[in-house]
Amino acid sequence: MTTVIETQHLSPMTHRFRSGAGEHLLVVPFSRVFDLSADDAATLDADPDALGAVAASCAEAAPGEAALDQIVEPNPQSISLNVSSSCNLGCAYCYAARGSFGGTQSAPMTWPVARAAIDRLLAVAQSDRPITVGFLGGEPFANRNLIHESVGYASAEGHRLGLDVRFSVTTNGTLLRPADLDLMRSHPFAVTVSLDGAADVNDAQRPMRNGRPGAWERATRGVAGLLADPGQAKLAARATVTRQDMDVSARLEALIQLGFPEVGVAPLRTGPDATAELQEEDWAVYLQELIRASDVELLRLKRGLPARLTNFAVALKQLHRGACSPYPCGAGGGYFSVAAGGRWYACHRAVGDPAFEMGSSDGLDTDRRRRFLEARHVHAQTDCRTCWARYLCSGGCHQEAESRTAASCDFVRGWLEFCLAAYCELSGPLPGGDRR
Amino acid sequence: MTGDVRSKLLPRNVAALRRFQDPAAAPREVTGNPVMTRLESGIGNCFPGLECDLRNLERRFFPFLEIEIDFSVAQGVMQVGAVDLPGVEDAASKGDLSAADAASYRTIAQDLRNGANWVVGNIAGDFGPFKQQSFNPDALTGLSFGDQRLPPEPWAAVRTLVEGKPVTLALVRSPAPGTIMLAGPRARYLDDTGALARMFQPGELTQSLCSPWTHDFRDCACFYWASNHPDIALPPLPTPPPAVGDPRWDLATSWERADRSVASPPVARQTGSQAVAEIAHHAINRDWQLLNFVLERRERLSDYMFGEFNASPLPDRATLLAQLRYAAGVEIAAMQEYLTAAWSLRPAEGQPEPLLGDLKAAFHELLRIAIGEMRHVRVVNDVLSGLSTPGSFTPALAVAAEVPGTKVGTVRPVLLRAATQAAIDDFVGLEAPSQSVDGLYGRILATLQKTPGTEEQQQTVRTVMAEGEDHWETFLAIKEWLGRHREAHYLRDVNLQPPPQDNATHQELQRRYVGLLDRLYSGYQQGIPNGAPDINTARSSMLGAAGLQGALDAVAAGPFLVVFDPIADPRFAAIHRP
Repeated sequence: MTTVIETQHLSPMTHRFRSGAGEHLLVVPFSRVFDLSADDAATLDADPDALGAVAASCAEAAPGEAALDQIVEPNPQSISLNVSSSCNLGCAYCYAARGSFGGTQSAPMTWPVARAAIDRLLAVAQSDRPITVGFLGGEPFANRNLIHESVGYASAEGHRLGLDVRFSVTTNGTLLRPADLDLMRSHPFAVTVSLDGAADVNDAQRPMRNGRPGAWERATRGVAGLLADPGQAKLAARATVTRQDMDVSARLEALIQLGFPEVGVAPLRTGPDATAELQEEDWAVYLQELIRASDVELLRLKRGLPARLTNFAVALKQLHRGACSPYPCGAGGGYFSVAAGGRWYACHRAVGDPAFEMGSSDGLDTDRRRRFLEARHVHAQTDCRTCWARYLCSGGCHQEAESRTAASCDFVRGWLEFCLAAYCELSGPLPGGDRR
Repeated sequence: MTGDVRSKLLPRNVAALRRFQDPAAAPREVTGNPVMTRLESGIGNCFPGLECDLRNLERRFFPFLEIEIDFSVAQGVMQVGAVDLPGVEDAASKGDLSAADAASYRTIAQDLRNGANWVVGNIAGDFGPFKQQSFNPDALTGLSFGDQRLPPEPWAAVRTLVEGKPVTLALVRSPAPGTIMLAGPRARYLDDTGALARMFQPGELTQSLCSPWTHDFRDCACFYWASNHPDIALPPLPTPPPAVGDPRWDLATSWERADRSVASPPVARQTGSQAVAEIAHHAINRDWQLLNFVLERRERLSDYMFGEFNASPLPDRATLLAQLRYAAGVEIAAMQEYLTAAWSLRPAEGQPEPLLGDLKAAFHELLRIAIGEMRHVRVVNDVLSGLSTPGSFTPALAVAAEVPGTKVGTVRPVLLRAATQAAIDDFVGLEAPSQSVDGLYGRILATLQKTPGTEEQQQTVRTVMAEGEDHWETFLAIKEWLGRHREAHYLRDVNLQPPPQDNATHQELQRRYVGLLDRLYSGYQQGIPNGAPDINTARSSMLGAAGLQGALDAVAAGPFLVVFDPIADPRFAAIHRP
């Protein structure tokens, strides 16, 4: 579908691509997408200096756009609470070792710890933007009382202070009770249910810890009531894709069948079980599978139906907006994860890792935080500097940076190529005439 | 060269658009109305409209005057509401207005301040489709017929005045008598840029809009509300519910009636009621929450429970198939009865109103229902085909010998009759129980639900039942339309008789009808897609002078009663109730 026209710059400022809608130019800084006539495209492709001049002009910051080489330290806007340190499932790939994080988180979170973190967040977050309190673990609902208490408290405090407080949770779904469903229905909750596909696929990857069968059965029974009547909750399933089975479409369809409006997938890059991780030769296959699934979604969008694959839907939204950041996520910026013991970490995957420890509910260690943000700026990643996708991918998950390889980066670029072309085709041949 | 290319870059995403925004313009608030508030993009009407009320335009049709139409008096009285004195003085100083006219305007303004009235006693001008006319608005009657006809009422007259053409008003003062003649062009409402002319004040066009939404319920008679907020509905049932079949609870009443009591049925009329007092305009803003939700045409006071459909299933598949074949036969018989009735009506053209409108409506609705029955024949055959073992299906195109009667459980013979009041009553009776467990399809649906039916087949049968309900309602309307007239006036003849057997038009009709059935039989037998050409041919052979329609016209012109002879061919012969 696309043709890539490589540019020869050390830090490429543009990326040329083609879609069913015609010739296009991505201006890398600020992720600006332009259409070109075929003649102009040929002219620019033959004249790197002209392309460079166009790029330099287009890459200037527009009013309201923040420079990309700056390190900004926003106030925390969202936190996750690692409320539980255990889980009833025994997924071999779990980054959290079922919530114990290799023994650094041995006991569940207590109410004073949760409350102090919520108080801190509400005190420092920007009051005119949504504030999010997330629940992670382990399986968060292993400590359901704390979730209920935290939601009640944060809602009431938010109401009292005039703040827009929202919630999120990632759960395996197997421990959900009617009261939990009511809680999620009656509050603005982003609910992510970890399910890896159909029953057989799921139970092979996500077995019960006690060895009994039926994790999928329990999970689907647990969430059925919420799927049928979600109230304020927004539900999505999230599937981990291992190298043993990279059929994204089958996983997507299996989970959609359960009633999930959206399904996200993520390939396993790192984890305790190396046999399941994607290897060099797997990335091309995974890309193919992801595009195969997205092609169906693209067709749906062209017919006016919503896309169901979160990865694709989010990519299109981001490209439309012109998402552009030197960081891949909010870790250490607007987002922190609070360990059961009360320490604040830059990321929930790094609980217990001293390199990611940023302070406590009494305050952040500003020096540590600045060093963390400096070290992880995409400009500081030598292998990212020469990549046209650097402000869209931003180097990927900090936890997975070590596992970055040429093949895995080719996957990211291939995926973005696909999404860019899909975006241009979806937004029509030439939107709205001359809109300069 | 670089500049050339850059000028041809077309921004596609939001970030690209942002780059070439004028930095000075970006953070600035844009003042003025958004484009969707322009007249040409609005939903404007005069009832009073959702986005703008066009009556506010017409009020300024004459230079320097605001002329209000008081709709409460007869067809409407045109009275001067205000004078644009600054505009008068400005025009006078520029020489655009004569000193005498300026003085007249000043007199009117002075009189209005003193409480006197100025009304339009005569208006002359180019009234577009009504041509050049001069008349006293009081003389308008609400009707408008024939050559040299006048507009029906003053407001219609004003609306048809041609922009820029001269208009002359004779204004009459009261109580102290006085007359002023003024002449001027019909005002322009838009300026050269397409914007509203300066004479309109900000907000003027929207000042009399509906007050969305509660006030609208009371004020709007457009019949375009959502089905759960209709103009009329069946009254809510009290607790304990009244006896089944108590007709007082099955008469539609005003949804906005002032009397909110539930225990006794509101005074109601079959077609909705002007007789029932409605909640006052001011009160509905306060009391809108008293309005009940309406589901399945009835106001609901408690949680809606999906009706238990408890007809007893038929004992076995053979009985089901037999019942379906009979149902197809009833549809055909009903179609014949409705066609006969439709072609017994006088042609509407040339009849006086209101007979003309009633005949037109009754004929077309009868035809629509007859076509509906033909569609039902098709879907019943589809269901039959789906339920039959492969190779065993034969189309059901036999005509029923008897059809359900007005009383539940009874049957009556098929009667090809003119659309007399008695015949229409029978049609109402035939369609009435469509949705009930006693209806023709009640036990069929129950059987399909129980075992052999696919979801699609169940929904198909449900649709047929629901359309039967629509037919029933339509027949009630037809009864009302035709009931206003004597049979002698609306039938071709009060004593219409079938043509003699050797009548050529009659024989041609039978020939075309059997030909049509032949095609259908072949098409149904082959199924879709192979049978599609036959079904399409059958369908197109119904219409036009060379089709069934032409044959029906020819017989009716006799004047004869259109009838369909019994057919000997066993495929199309009579079928009895199983």
